[in-house]
Amino acid sequence: MSYTISEKCNGCGACMRVCPADAITGEKKKAHAIDANLCIECGACGKVCPQSGILDGNGIACTMIKRSEWPKPEITVETCIACGICVDACPVGCLAMSERPRNKGVDAFPYLKDAKACIGCGFCRADCPMDVIAMLKPVKEKKASSEVA
Amino acid sequence: MTKAYMGKILMVDLSSGTMTEEAIPDSVYEQYLSGMGLGAYILYNRIPAGADPLGPENILGFCSGLLTGTGSLFSGRWTLVGKSPLTGGWGDANCGGTFSPAIKHCGYDAVFFKGISPKPVYLYVKNGKAVLKDAADLWGKDAVETEEKLKKQYGEKAGVAVIGPAGEKVSLISGVCTDKGRIAARSGLGAVMGVKKLKAVVLDGVQRINVQDPEEMKRLSLKCVKWTNFPMPLSLLPGVGLALMGTFMGATPVMFAQDGLLYKTILRTWGTGGMNQMSAEMGDSPLKNWVGSSKDFPLSKSKTINPDIIRKAEIVKYHCYSCPLGCGGICATKGKYSHTHKPEYESILALGGLCMNEDLDSLFYLNELLNRAGMDTISAGATAAFAIECYEKGILTNKDTDGLELKWGNTEAVVALIRKMVNRDGIGDILADGSKVAAAKIGRGAEACTVHAGGQEPAMHDGRGDPGFNVHYSVEPTPGRHTIGAHLYYEMFQLWKRVKGLPRPSLLFMKGSKYKVNKEKAQASAACSKFMSMGNGAGMCMFGLFIGAKRIPTFDWLNAATGWKFSPEEYMTIGERIQTIKQDFNVKHRIEPKNNFISRRAQGNPPQKEGANKGRVVDVEKLAADYWEQFGWDRATGKPKAETLKRLGIK
Repeated sequence: MSYTISEKCNGCGACMRVCPADAITGEKKKAHAIDANLCIECGACGKVCPQSGILDGNGIACTMIKRSEWPKPEITVETCIACGICVDACPVGCLAMSERPRNKGVDAFPYLKDAKACIGCGFCRADCPMDVIAMLKPVKEKKASSEVA
Repeated sequence: MTKAYMGKILMVDLSSGTMTEEAIPDSVYEQYLSGMGLGAYILYNRIPAGADPLGPENILGFCSGLLTGTGSLFSGRWTLVGKSPLTGGWGDANCGGTFSPAIKHCGYDAVFFKGISPKPVYLYVKNGKAVLKDAADLWGKDAVETEEKLKKQYGEKAGVAVIGPAGEKVSLISGVCTDKGRIAARSGLGAVMGVKKLKAVVLDGVQRINVQDPEEMKRLSLKCVKWTNFPMPLSLLPGVGLALMGTFMGATPVMFAQDGLLYKTILRTWGTGGMNQMSAEMGDSPLKNWVGSSKDFPLSKSKTINPDIIRKAEIVKYHCYSCPLGCGGICATKGKYSHTHKPEYESILALGGLCMNEDLDSLFYLNELLNRAGMDTISAGATAAFAIECYEKGILTNKDTDGLELKWGNTEAVVALIRKMVNRDGIGDILADGSKVAAAKIGRGAEACTVHAGGQEPAMHDGRGDPGFNVHYSVEPTPGRHTIGAHLYYEMFQLWKRVKGLPRPSLLFMKGSKYKVNKEKAQASAACSKFMSMGNGAGMCMFGLFIGAKRIPTFDWLNAATGWKFSPEEYMTIGERIQTIKQDFNVKHRIEPKNNFISRRAQGNPPQKEGANKGRVVDVEKLAADYWEQFGWDRATGKPKAETLKRLGIK
């Protein structure tokens, strides 16, 4: 079920800018709308709306979350089969396959190449056939996983 | 839509620039799946009989697989379909990489092109909007440069399929490239794209691909991974060990039925190149333009293509989308091209053994050169070998070749010749359309030096070593195709474990028994064709299917993804329908199936005097009649009978 926009919308346009599917349209300071045919239910709009004006597929209002607290994929590369499904599933292209093999192996591995672009949708986790991806809230002290590659 | 397919296609008319989105009824997917099946259904109904393959009426389709993006594995193959300008009949080419899911992310199962654009263009699709853009600044660039330029503009995530200069120059052996060196090369469909002035297709969508039962999909995929990770001691062998296995297999009169797990291990460890020396030894590789035998290319010559040497150049494995195996590799090379896809077995043998060229550096170079030009390495190598034989026999002289000394094993001449073919320069202009067209232009008896099936150069698998290859080269609606069936493939598919009524091959048999014509052979060949047609509709990789039908749960994935409850037998009927509609496409376009039989030389006529295939003769005519009968096609002509078309619902 597609996300929708409630009457709370004040037309700030934050949702439209973050939507990776170009599913949201609307003029500035006027109510916006989501095209159900294009919505991929990634939830990014709900996380940025300051008005709690986005309703998810079940009609429940989403709460705004600070971008630094959006969950990010943590990949256990040891059991990864390098099938690349996660890289393809990502709607913003923030994952990539390494250009070097993982430790002592021969296969490339996926890593979070562009952490800033990640919208925390969890499609990579949902689609991973091996269940080697977890969506975790970033811990500040930890090095960004992109540095590993 | 939660049935694994998107339910829509995009039809682009390049002449007028109009684009039409069409909904496809569920019944079409239930009868033809997606991928090659959907492509065959659309082309059969929409290309008028007798249409010029290089004219505006031909339709070129980029088709994703039904299982692509569903959480299944080995399901990232896409099929390029069109009427082939090389054979005049049904044409398709299969490719991996990451382009297949990109089609579905745009909300389509396939994108088709008809008409001819007045100027070079490319299609760009993003989030529900499709536009044709000017490609003037891309025309003339090679496939890798074009892809890099488009990805720089639209992001790495975009799926990009392009033609290189070979396609632009309407070479009848050109293909369509993706992922910097994966190429849908066969059937000459790059020429169709070139003549349509379509330089590239850029698909930049994010639509989700939904399935009926995601948990079941995951359970099945985990089961599949158990088999792909199954440890086999074979991987510890050195490359030369494989070669010696090949020597043994070539010499022994008794053979054992092979299990796909053996082949899986070779693919995992070395890639298709693991077969380089082994195939040459066991009589699987044709050598010296199909005149030579394993004796002409002994270990002392083939040592330069030892798979261990090739593996040394590999930096990291390359996996196509959703592949747990990773038979590909990215290699570092010296010279002009710093990175290249690991050359495949087919490319190495076509440009190597078939031309008696032992120089590995030249093989790396030619592989990348041809990938960038967008030219089929198999047909290019085979056509070069044809030219060398013509030269050695005096049919071509220094005057014809602009001074190139086209002698067996002359690496420099082979490299120069292929460069000429890519550029359509001098003799290269004649050869750039494949060996059959070239022989007709050269005349002087050159036709006797060609080996082709209906105009298509066969792949590097000798039907004298495995007669199944000769059957499929000759009877497939896409002639010369090696990725459908063979005696060996039937053993590995292990279909009898899932499909009722199929013969179980003997575990140990005399090699000579492979050449006897009987009903079992016809049943096995027909089963391979049905299974692979179904697999190509699903977007499955043949190498995955080799692991065995019970271990790689294609039928179960299809049911879980779509919510259908079809039995394996019903899926085989879908394959039969796809195969039959392609055959009837050929009939509609006035192809005589008998004219597609592979050249007599490759049938063992005359038989070889030495080597692994000494004395082997394959009776293609008899084998074909039995095969046709299995499908309800006329035994004498190979044309589908009216009652067969009716039974399968083909109108």
